[in-house]
Amino acid sequence: MPDVSKMKKPDVKLVLLGDMNVGKTSLLHRYMERKFKDTISTVGGAFFLKQWGPYHISIWDTAGREQFHGLGSMYCRGAAAVILTYDVTNWQSLAELEERFLSLTDTANHDCIYALVGNKADLTDPKAHLCQDSGVLPEDRRTECEEERTEPQVLSTCPTPPASPASLSGLLLHKQVAREDAVALYGRILRYKGLDEKSSLPADKMCFETSAKTGYNVDALFETLFDLVLPSILRKRHEDQASPTVDLEDCREGSGKRVRASCC
Amino acid sequence: MEVDPHQDREAQAAKVSGPPAESDPPADTLATSLCLLGNHMFPDPVATNACTSINSSEPASLQPSDVSAEDPGPDARPPPDLGAESVTQDSDCQSDAPAHPAGRGTEDAGGAQSDSGEFVVTMLAKAKLEEQGIGVKGRSSPLLEAGIPEPPSFTSHRDEDVTADSWRRHRKHVFVLSEAGKPIYSRYGSEEALSSTMGVMMALVSFVQSGDNIIRSVYSEEHTVVFLQKGPLVLVCVSNSRQSEQQLRGELLYVYYQIVSMLTQASISRIFEHKKNYDLRRLLAGSEKILDGLLNLVDSDPSFLLAAVHCLPLASSLRDSLSQILQKAITPNLVFSILIAKNQLLTIVQEKTVIEDARLAPADVHLLLNLIGASSAFQAGEIWTPICLPLFNPDCYFYAYISYLDPPECTVCLLLLSTDKEAFYAVAECKRKIEEAMVAQNSLSLIAKAQSYSVSQVGVSDLRHFMYKPFDVPDNHRQLTQFTSPEMEAPYSSEEEKMRLLDLYRYMHSRIHSTSRPLKLIYHVAERETLLAWVTSKFELYTCFSPLVTKTCAITAITKLLRWIKKEEDRLFIRYPPKYSTTPNPSKSSKSSRSDQQDATDNGFLSLL
Ligand SMILES: Nc1nc2c(ncn2[C@@H]2O[C@H](COP(=O)(O)OP(=O)(O)O)[C@@H](O)[C@H]2O)c(=O)[nH]1
Ligand SMILES: [Mg+2]
Repeated sequence: MPDVSKMKKPDVKLVLLGDMNVGKTSLLHRYMERKFKDTISTVGGAFFLKQWGPYHISIWDTAGREQFHGLGSMYCRGAAAVILTYDVTNWQSLAELEERFLSLTDTANHDCIYALVGNKADLTDPKAHLCQDSGVLPEDRRTECEEERTEPQVLSTCPTPPASPASLSGLLLHKQVAREDAVALYGRILRYKGLDEKSSLPADKMCFETSAKTGYNVDALFETLFDLVLPSILRKRHEDQASPTVDLEDCREGSGKRVRASCC
Repeated sequence: MEVDPHQDREAQAAKVSGPPAESDPPADTLATSLCLLGNHMFPDPVATNACTSINSSEPASLQPSDVSAEDPGPDARPPPDLGAESVTQDSDCQSDAPAHPAGRGTEDAGGAQSDSGEFVVTMLAKAKLEEQGIGVKGRSSPLLEAGIPEPPSFTSHRDEDVTADSWRRHRKHVFVLSEAGKPIYSRYGSEEALSSTMGVMMALVSFVQSGDNIIRSVYSEEHTVVFLQKGPLVLVCVSNSRQSEQQLRGELLYVYYQIVSMLTQASISRIFEHKKNYDLRRLLAGSEKILDGLLNLVDSDPSFLLAAVHCLPLASSLRDSLSQILQKAITPNLVFSILIAKNQLLTIVQEKTVIEDARLAPADVHLLLNLIGASSAFQAGEIWTPICLPLFNPDCYFYAYISYLDPPECTVCLLLLSTDKEAFYAVAECKRKIEEAMVAQNSLSLIAKAQSYSVSQVGVSDLRHFMYKPFDVPDNHRQLTQFTSPEMEAPYSSEEEKMRLLDLYRYMHSRIHSTSRPLKLIYHVAERETLLAWVTSKFELYTCFSPLVTKTCAITAITKLLRWIKKEEDRLFIRYPPKYSTTPNPSKSSKSSRSDQQDATDNGFLSLL
């Protein structure tokens, strides 16, 4: 029987945002279950708890469809980190981040950190394509067959019809989003948030390219973020012990950029 | 299917429309219009073909169709081995005149069609335009040439080649389009590939509308095309399943409700008021699988046909203890707590004031169960999603919390519905409490033992299967409409045979519910079984016997069956759905408190336009 997660109060909140089909659910699944399998389109949002050392990290996987935008701000409220995900083979998915998703993060913590993640790197990058996830071998084999089955679907959901199935022929797809584009967007995000580029985390560190399919860079992404939100966890624990008037404390101890109390 | 308690403007319109005779001249001009339309929609060579084929087939197929004067083609007759049928209407025996096929058997259905739009145009042109209000008449038995059940397939149908024969042979196509003719959904093949087809359908709909008529259905010898307009959406079903028009329309209504459950009726209308040619797929993207799943369920689960829910048989003491667990784990604005195992209801507990003058409609429960089925990918996580229950209130959202209680098996699912979109953490806390209580009472292992029953438990030989749906009786009129049915066992074990039995039931159901000639009792001797359907003021019953059973035997068997159900009813049904109160100051008028509490906003769609 599962060890029923007795309400471990989550210490911190991470949110995955991005257009439908960029691979948010697959990334989370790869990280949590060490597997890549066909996913069903997410409805609303799905909440997961991850034990990270002594801490409980909650992760929201969101649907990314416009239908659920009304809830976007709820999923983001009080978030310590937002993972903005796009698909490296789909330029539009990067544009959507700026057009539709950035504004949903208005309810995130004032010291929230942002990561820009270009997924499906296996389709364009030999390094990501050949990456073997450190997971157990038999499981990897199973993953392999599941991939074959889902291949046509992967391709069909991609708005730009790819010339040929990449992993079968060894041909790689055209990469539509270069790393520089992501880095530039990261700069615009900081500006939108009113953050100073110099005192913020560098784009170099916060722009990732991943593959949920091969596992490339997936652990690095999540674990970098977990480490980065640690200060936020410690501060929150401190507040919870200190006094019920957390809101004020929150403002004083925060980076002080914006003095606005955040609820939660 | 009376799933729509709301005023149905379409139905009214149908009633006020002119006498049937009027539709003959329009049918004539319809051919011309289809031809023009063909020119318009398909300017390529294929299109010209389509146009010619309509022209050439026009004299044969679009004559005023006085079917009774016709000699039906040889292949349109029910084969003798289908068996005899005697129909009892109000216990007054009369023989059922053999029905005529609706269309003429003169053309070759296969033809040289090479385009899906052409397929539809040709089919429509071949068909006889059924006047509204006439309902199902002149149908040959649905048991003939019923579509071969397709093997259950979990691959996507989106990539299907819409010009292939296999595409045309699907048992049931469903299309959804906007009034402006924009494709929204197609069960098979991508909407893009089918946009011309949908355009044809829309032109047809507006053509008939312009004559102050509303197109309701078109029959050809192989297909029934049923149209349903709901607000700015037009739903079309092209079926060779030989189901009745009413049944098919009921199914389209479920599709409409599922769309409303994702967007709300209010926002759908507002979106199209704003922008007539809005592409609704923007909002529904990713929901195709939910609609696909719904249509598969509609085909395979009789709950939809009966508009009733099926609960898992459970000792009433266990069911009560589960209900109590749910009743104790509450939080403000929680309105429904639902426990599901193996896709069947275990129990539903509801908030008192919200539900005072309303109850959860079976159709809403079906939509919820379908949503849960479609979200099974997140078995490890806890889902929080807005959902509208169209029959409860088509314009407001509830927020659904969905989580499995027995990972990794994931057969026991908890569904909590709140009216507060911010309540996730409070509602998730309710789940912890429920989980704890269930561990303490060992409920999960007891639930795991629960299963559907075998018809052999009834102890009536010759009885192979049945579906029993009791009607509301005064002392439990707040109860959810339910039905009970045993497992389908041999000879109905294979998917094909299951579908065949369901088709027989659908046929019996259509006869019982026929608008023109409703029946109370039908004894139907089919080729491989004998069926008896019976409706009274207290229940609706469908039974299936081995082929050689006599009418007297069947009736004795039914008496025994009814006695058995009576004895077992505490186990077979959710008897008294318990209620709780989460409102500190229960307001008298639940209707108003409901709209106060609920988020009546459009969930932010308009900002996207
Ligand atoms: N090649 C490749 N396909 C992926 C990758 N991640 C996801 N996919 C596929 O992309 C589709 C959408 O993935 P999903 O996780 O559901 O996307 P979401 O809507 O963002 O949650 C699925 O068919 C996945 O199999 C990846 O890293 N590489
Ligand atoms: Mg997803």
